[in-house]
Amino acid sequence: MSIQMNEVYKAFGDVRVLEGFSLEVEEGETLVVLGRSGSGKSVMLKHIVGLLLPDKGNVWVDGQQISNLPTKELYLLRRKVGYVFQFAALFDSMSVAENVGMGLERMKEFSREEIRDRVEECLTLVGLEGLSDRFPAELSGGQKKRAGIARAIAIRPKYLLYDEPTTGLDPLTKAVIDRLILRMNRELGVTGVVITHDMESAYRVGDRIAMLYGGRRRFLGTPDELRSTTDGVVKGFVEGRPELLENAS
Amino acid sequence: MTERILAPFSTIGRRAVALAAGIGRWGMLTAETFRSLRHVDVWGRLLLQQMAKIGLDSVPIAVFIAIFTGIVLSLQASYTFTGAVPLYFVGVLVGKTMMLELGPVLTGLALSGRVGANIAAEIGTMRVTEQIDALETMAYPPVAYLVLPRVLAGIIMFPVVTALAIAVGIGSGWLTALQLLDMSTPEFVRGLTLFFEPFDVTFAFIKATSFGFVVTTIGCLFGFHTRGGAEGVGTSTTQAVVVSSMSILVLDAFWAVTLL
Amino acid sequence: MNRTREALVGLVIVVAAVVTAVGVLWLQGATWGRPQVEMEAVFDEVGLVRSGNAVKLRGVQVGRVREITVDPAGDLVRVRFRIDEGVTLPDQPVVVLSPESLFGDWQAEIHPRTRFPRVRFPEPREADVLPGHALPDISQLTAAADEISETMLVLTERVGIAFSEDTAENIASLIDNIEDVTTQLATLVEQQAASFTEVTDDLRQATQGIGSAANQARVTLERVDGLLARDEVESTLQDLAGLTANLRGLSAEMDGTNREFRELAAQVESTFAKVEGMLEVVEAGDGSLGRLLHDPGMAEEMEGAVTELQLLLADIRENPRRYVRLSIF
Ligand SMILES: Nc1ncnc2c1ncn2[C@@H]1O[C@H](COP(=O)(O)OP(=O)(O)OP(=O)(O)O)[C@@H](O)[C@H]1O
Ligand SMILES: [Mg+2]
Repeated sequence: MSIQMNEVYKAFGDVRVLEGFSLEVEEGETLVVLGRSGSGKSVMLKHIVGLLLPDKGNVWVDGQQISNLPTKELYLLRRKVGYVFQFAALFDSMSVAENVGMGLERMKEFSREEIRDRVEECLTLVGLEGLSDRFPAELSGGQKKRAGIARAIAIRPKYLLYDEPTTGLDPLTKAVIDRLILRMNRELGVTGVVITHDMESAYRVGDRIAMLYGGRRRFLGTPDELRSTTDGVVKGFVEGRPELLENAS
Repeated sequence: MTERILAPFSTIGRRAVALAAGIGRWGMLTAETFRSLRHVDVWGRLLLQQMAKIGLDSVPIAVFIAIFTGIVLSLQASYTFTGAVPLYFVGVLVGKTMMLELGPVLTGLALSGRVGANIAAEIGTMRVTEQIDALETMAYPPVAYLVLPRVLAGIIMFPVVTALAIAVGIGSGWLTALQLLDMSTPEFVRGLTLFFEPFDVTFAFIKATSFGFVVTTIGCLFGFHTRGGAEGVGTSTTQAVVVSSMSILVLDAFWAVTLL
Repeated sequence: MNRTREALVGLVIVVAAVVTAVGVLWLQGATWGRPQVEMEAVFDEVGLVRSGNAVKLRGVQVGRVREITVDPAGDLVRVRFRIDEGVTLPDQPVVVLSPESLFGDWQAEIHPRTRFPRVRFPEPREADVLPGHALPDISQLTAAADEISETMLVLTERVGIAFSEDTAENIASLIDNIEDVTTQLATLVEQQAASFTEVTDDLRQATQGIGSAANQARVTLERVDGLLARDEVESTLQDLAGLTANLRGLSAEMDGTNREFRELAAQVESTFAKVEGMLEVVEAGDGSLGRLLHDPGMAEEMEGAVTELQLLLADIRENPRRYVRLSIF
């Protein structure tokens, strides 16, 4: 397995976010992670690239344990991982094109022209062709989000981590992004972890779906298994029925 | 009752611990900054840009301050020296004061406002909008990318700006002496050269370099440890300016004690 | 980041570097290629001269002191200096070091040797090296004054006992001595702006010292006035002895507080000069004490000395600020 989290604990002061969370992502699959707002999905995702280190437990990516990886190797590993931030996190001092080209430039394998072509290609994939000279401040929220996705896929990573890639997008763009996620997976063999609140997207892109609840993994299964689950908490969340949740807990 | 008595002490204790922690964080950031020197590929291209931002853009304000400092020094010196002391001492005072004290310190203070605030706000914003995390995920070591070019630019450009400020300050003091004080150029120059020692210039450079280092590292430190959105950025910025200004004054005294 | 900005950064750095380099060289007194010749002079000691001090000829700066080293033999100090090419030196040039102003900087002046007949210059071994001499600092002069007043004390005692040929010779050499010191003092005081440091207890004591000296001098004068009528030679001489002793004590005090009382010292020295004038009369006359006491000029000179002292004291009391130096750094 390519990404593995083992009994991970993480707390910020008194706020305990992850309490023994475990997850395995198979090579080449797209795994969707569901969970209520504030349940710790983003925190969980940051553990995979070493932005946060677990208080307890461990995280393996590509056969390497993140928490005791020397800095140099950690940076090498990160070149294989694309991360789509929940709020895009574009560098505001740079144009969209420079943002998207950042990761490529770091790799030092590409000429100026190659980078420019790759950036154009990625921007076209997310539907931002022609906006490459804009600055982040001149983009709408959805455009920023898509620029963030373009930046993550530009390096053709082996792993792609999406933190709510479709939240706040119109249905059409949402479908475009979902298709992009599938394409990355099918054509380039990318292993993906997708955080989303959007059940439609989840069913569309997920090979398997997990749910984070109370700091632990509450559910893991195929979309079909999710549809037929009897766990009140999961069913309540998926169907948007708070009363089921209350009964279950 | 005992709690009431102990309260001020626990406040002092907390403050002391916070101060020690701050100094510790600063030390760690500084150490990391020097370690990051090996990532030339990351900071090399950014250095010139930061030198322009920190140094070039600060020239106007530094020169503006220096012009008026020179004028005031010249006028006040002549006022103080009425009678007993020969007028050419205006040259001594303007030269020595600009070189040893006001040139480096006023430039340092002005730049701690301009540069320190700018750095803290910029890096702070990058912190709260996860841009620093984004750098990390793209395999850019954030200290090498953000801190090092700024610190190096500060170390290089503060002395440059200070040198210009000193020259301009002495120039404006000289013009003032010429126009308003009825002094002659040879008289002013005599005072200027009378007690001049090359060490004065070295001293000014030592001060300016250390101020550049302190202002940029403190700006970066507060930027890096920003939390909590726009308000957090505001707090960091203010703190960066306050702390770096105070550090400049403390350092100024430190150099005076150790080097003079 | 556009090209112009990059170029501007470079420009600012270059300008700062050039300004610094040119400024340092200029303030250190670079000659910018003006042709200069290097010279050397030897001294017994060099006072407070340092490299960078001005070298002057007839009061005009013609160069600067470059280097000061103790001769390996150990008995001389060698001073290397550069002066502008084409400057014609006087016959038998000597280099005399002296304070340029009260504020501590010294100068090296090139003079014809004949200007200083009494000074013993060290003789350089090499032909092209000039002999040199450092004039005493004011504190040294007050020490000399101390010595003189001591001699005067002895002298007045002797006058009281027996006025002989021997004594006359003593007086002659004493007067030579005084002349020398007072000339030096006069030039020095002339050069220097009036300045004093804080009015301290030391100053107050010193002024009191002068006050009582002046007082005693006045009493003496009054006695001298009445001398023709009442033959009180004996007591007059005693008073004179007291006066000089007082002066001696005064210059000892001044030595203790040294540099700060330079002008005061100069004024006291001029009092010595008056006393010297008085003694000159003794020398010029046939050697009898009677002639001394009969000379009306002596009384006038004595009175002049006292008046001057009193004026100085009054001035110090009224305008202490004139004597207070501002401490800048
Ligand atoms: N750096 C941090 N310092 C302190 N607390 C944090 C930090 N990051 C996250 N938290 C806390 O951890 C909890 C989980 O946050 P997280 O961002 O993972 O939520 P999320 O599941 O991504 O929610 P959403 O769907 O709204 O993005 C929240 O209570 C949050 O306050
Ligand atoms: Mg989140």
